[in-house]
Amino acid sequence: MTEQEPLTRNDALPQQGALVVMVGNPNTGKTTLINALAGSNLKVGNWPGTTVDRLAARLRLAGKEIELVDLPGTYGLIPTTPEEGLVARELLNNRPQTIINVVDAGNLERNLHLTLNLSEMGMPMLVALNLMDEAEAKGYSLDPQALERELGVPVAPLVASRDKGVTALLERLQQGVVPRPQVKYPPPIEKAVGELAQQIDHPSRRWLALALLSGEEVPLQLPEQVLQSAARLSKSLQDSGIDAYLEIENARFARAHELARAVITGSEKRLTLTDRIDKWVLHPLLGGPLFLLGMLLAFRFTFSFSSPWVDFIGALQEVLAGWVHAAHLPALLSSFLADGLIGGVGTVISFAPVLFFLYLALAFLETSGFLARAAFIADKFMLLAGLPGRAFIPLILGFGCNVPAVYSTRILNGRLDRLRVAMAVPFMTCSARLVVFTLFAAVFFPKQATWVVFGLYLLGMLIGLLTAWALGRAAGGGSSSGLMELPPYRMPTLRVVVKLAWARTRSFLQGAGGPILLAVLFVWMLLNLPPGASLQNSYYARAAELMQPLFATLGIHDWRLLGALIPGFVAKEVVVGTLAVSYLGSAPGAALGFVAGLAQIASALWQALLGSLDAIPALLGLPHMASAPAAGGDLRSALAGSLTQAGALSYLAFLLLYTPCVATLAAIKNEFGKFWAAFAMIYELLVAFGVAWGVYRLALLFGGG
Amino acid sequence: MRRVRGLGGGKRRLADLPEGTPAVVGLLAMRGPLRKRLLALGVRPGAVVKVIRRAPMGDPMEIAVGDTLIAIRHAEAEEVLLENPPGDD
Repeated sequence: MTEQEPLTRNDALPQQGALVVMVGNPNTGKTTLINALAGSNLKVGNWPGTTVDRLAARLRLAGKEIELVDLPGTYGLIPTTPEEGLVARELLNNRPQTIINVVDAGNLERNLHLTLNLSEMGMPMLVALNLMDEAEAKGYSLDPQALERELGVPVAPLVASRDKGVTALLERLQQGVVPRPQVKYPPPIEKAVGELAQQIDHPSRRWLALALLSGEEVPLQLPEQVLQSAARLSKSLQDSGIDAYLEIENARFARAHELARAVITGSEKRLTLTDRIDKWVLHPLLGGPLFLLGMLLAFRFTFSFSSPWVDFIGALQEVLAGWVHAAHLPALLSSFLADGLIGGVGTVISFAPVLFFLYLALAFLETSGFLARAAFIADKFMLLAGLPGRAFIPLILGFGCNVPAVYSTRILNGRLDRLRVAMAVPFMTCSARLVVFTLFAAVFFPKQATWVVFGLYLLGMLIGLLTAWALGRAAGGGSSSGLMELPPYRMPTLRVVVKLAWARTRSFLQGAGGPILLAVLFVWMLLNLPPGASLQNSYYARAAELMQPLFATLGIHDWRLLGALIPGFVAKEVVVGTLAVSYLGSAPGAALGFVAGLAQIASALWQALLGSLDAIPALLGLPHMASAPAAGGDLRSALAGSLTQAGALSYLAFLLLYTPCVATLAAIKNEFGKFWAAFAMIYELLVAFGVAWGVYRLALLFGGG
Repeated sequence: MRRVRGLGGGKRRLADLPEGTPAVVGLLAMRGPLRKRLLALGVRPGAVVKVIRRAPMGDPMEIAVGDTLIAIRHAEAEEVLLENPPGDD
């Protein structure tokens, strides 16, 4: 059937710079395998122009260097997601010398369906029959030799997680050949495939012809005349009552079934580890609580392990600023260095530990199989907003910090769902906003403080979910699919997980660092220019005064309150600090001696390490809401006179909803591009203004004024 | 009219299948990406399917097809039609 390549030894390998790619279903242990093959040579990054992880390594094979690349996991070569689309595109346009087809030995029939697709690509390949241990635990006895005979390519049985069979696979890499013809289609289809394939000038002509006759688009530039022939042949098949797509799929499934039967020599159904864990995790009564507990652990892991490091960076910042002050530079320069530059860089860097530990937690949840279960449990609830179950995780994380929450949207399938959740995330009350809320609630609503804060949480969630729902509506997609595989529970490969987390953290520092730093410097300029001006005469005060007429409609008149919204754009934490400075006047930073400063670095690092250890038992504790910040009584009494209760409510609503902090915007820009970052900024300003106005009017109506 | 096994599909829907009872998939009564994803996961006419459990709030449900465990929403499972049991045709 395939007439193009004879079954000869693959002479292309070893060849300097030869490309070897790994292709397989999701959850077949491809990541573990490339880690076992590559060891410390493993390089982690993104596929160009995407946020899809790319794992690659340079290996030496018989004295020559080869490039090994792991393609995203896929069920078929005709994509149903953008990640899957990468696979066929790479195979067709960036032709590898050899394909390693990674097959889950415990799920042969479905995995072999992809193998059959690959066999029609006309490329040399070999099969890595991975997870042999799981197949055995499931009660299967397999005959890898039988598969080798049937396919005509080397088949290497493996347990990649325990390094078993990995060397043997490497040794057989050079024996990769184009498989023997596998699938026999009904005669009218074979005839059409033959006719069409003749016109295609590409080694994968048979697969291309089959895809075109199935009515699929292929990620390869083909001459117009080929597409016309395909349309004509499809039409004539259709006219004779043949559904080419269905017939082709059926023939492949039948062959996959036949192959699996030839390889499986015995099977006795056994209860697997996954069955036993799922009995608890997906239990009708216990499932919900266990899910919440799991989320809580992941959440606390992220913030407990990262906060000591964040504190350490904060302390380091203080020490450096202290040195700058001690250097007796001109006041403006010293303030620029200490507050602007060191403060800005410190803000950027302090996100790194949070992101790193979050990515670790997420990668663990994802690769262990727990994430799919969490999505299963939360699905019904998220369906209300037309979102898949996985959307629960970014939204929950948003309560800690919006920045990692935006990055965590990567666990969703498809760009539209990711975008919808990312647009909802900034409305979740992050811990930075909580600090401001507790202060204002304590000042203006001493009796109902808890309810005011709780109400703000709810308001944010409601608007976030509405946003996601409306975006889905606008895109015409309606609700997304809940269909997904529940993969077996497995231990993640620690080295890969750490490398992935670090690569993503680095990409944040590179992509978001600049904008955050610029925003910090901009606010510093507003506060400190023109030179020598007091705060009341600074550009900052003038900008705040410009905002006054607009915000008078919200019942907010004091320029100092309005001014605090500007640095709030950089980070909501600083709102309280800015208010303190503008109401009470600033205290000059204490200059530190060099030796005392050094001692402080050392002790802060020690504290950070201790804190990380302390976090382990704390992980098991229940969460407690952060207690009110140590804002001095002076600020409280100064604030009390500045707003009515209705004005305070509208100020809080505005603060909750307005433009996410610059780091969140940078994260959105990093993940979705400039347009969506701008959209988020403007949309959220409008929403904040509208809702704050509504809240103010309602409060006046009910006599809060 | 008698239906031919593997081509037709009865009136029973996967959504209504009780837990633990095996059944044969008849027809995927939908188009587009959902159909492709179902086929890719092995949910195809002729495949044996079993409902393992339903989520705490009744939706979605977990099904097993071959060695694959799949989560599918009730609304999606309504469009997966099942063969009638033998002798019931």
